[in-house]
Amino acid sequence: MKITRSNVSDEIPTSSMADIAFLLIIYFMVTTTFAATRGLDFSLPKDDDTPPMIEKEESVLIEIQAGGLLLVDQKAMPLEDILDYLKPKLEINQTKPVIIRPQENAQYGDMVDVFDELRQAKDKIGIEIKNISIPTQREIDMFWF
Amino acid sequence: MRLQTRSVQNTGIPTASMADIAFLLIIFFMVTISFEVDKTQVGLPKTELRIEIPKKSAYVSVTKNGQIRVSGGDEISVPVPGPQEVLSFAADVVRRDPSKAFVLKADREASYRHVDGVIDALKQAKAEVIYLLSDQETVESEAGQ
Repeated sequence: MKITRSNVSDEIPTSSMADIAFLLIIYFMVTTTFAATRGLDFSLPKDDDTPPMIEKEESVLIEIQAGGLLLVDQKAMPLEDILDYLKPKLEINQTKPVIIRPQENAQYGDMVDVFDELRQAKDKIGIEIKNISIPTQREIDMFWF
Repeated sequence: MRLQTRSVQNTGIPTASMADIAFLLIIFFMVTISFEVDKTQVGLPKTELRIEIPKKSAYVSVTKNGQIRVSGGDEISVPVPGPQEVLSFAADVVRRDPSKAFVLKADREASYRHVDGVIDALKQAKAEVIYLLSDQETVESEAGQ
C-alpha cells in the first residue's frame, strides 16, 4: 500500500499584506483634507471694562471704505504707502496707536490686508507697531468721542 | 578535473519588508492626522505673515453670506443664528479655559458688519487672543490682484 503525505505549508501567508497596507495608505491620503492652520494673531485687551482713552489727534486712523479705498487720517492712500506715512510718526513715538476702522459694508479681506501690512512694519521699515487697535462698532458707539 | 560550480543568484526583488514599511507609513499618518473641526467652505484672506495656530483652538467661521458656525475645538462645528449666540458660546469656552485661543475663519468677501459682530462677541466674552485664519500670500496671488 502506498501512503501519500499531503504537503501542507505551516506558515501564515503574508504575501498580500503589503497590498492591504498600501491600500490603507491610499485611503488615508485620499480622505485627508489639509487644513489651514496658520493665521494672524490678534491679542485682545486684558480684562478691564474701562479701556484707556485715546485722543483722536494722538492716533493714526485708517478707515476702510466699501470698495477697498483706504483713508489714512482722512487722506486716500494705497496700501503700500501706509508704512512710509507712519514711519516718521513712529520714530517720534513707537507706541503711537494705529486704529483700523472698517466701514460696516467693507470687506473683511481688506481689513486683513491692512492688518497684515501693519504687522510687517518691523520687517519693512524697521519699527514695530506696538499698538494696533480694531475697535468694534459697539466700542465706537460707547467710547468714541 | 573538478568542474566549476555555478552560483545560483536570486533574480527576484526582495519584498518581505514592504509590509513593514507600509504599516510604518500608516502609523505615521494616523499619529499626525488632525481632524478638521470646521469644514465650512470659505475663501480665506491671503496674508504674508502667518503664525501657527495652537491645536484644539475654538473656531468661529463666517461665510460670505454671514452664516456663522462655532466649535469648541473638540467637536464638529454647529451653526448659530447670530453674534449673541457666539457670545454665550465664547463665554462658556472662556469659563472652562480662560487662555483658550479662538480662530476666526471668515470669508475674505464677507461684509465686515458680520465679522464685527463676531469680534465684538469674542471681546465681550473676554477672549485673550483671536487668530485670523489665512492662506499664504504668494507672488502670483499678489500679481493676480
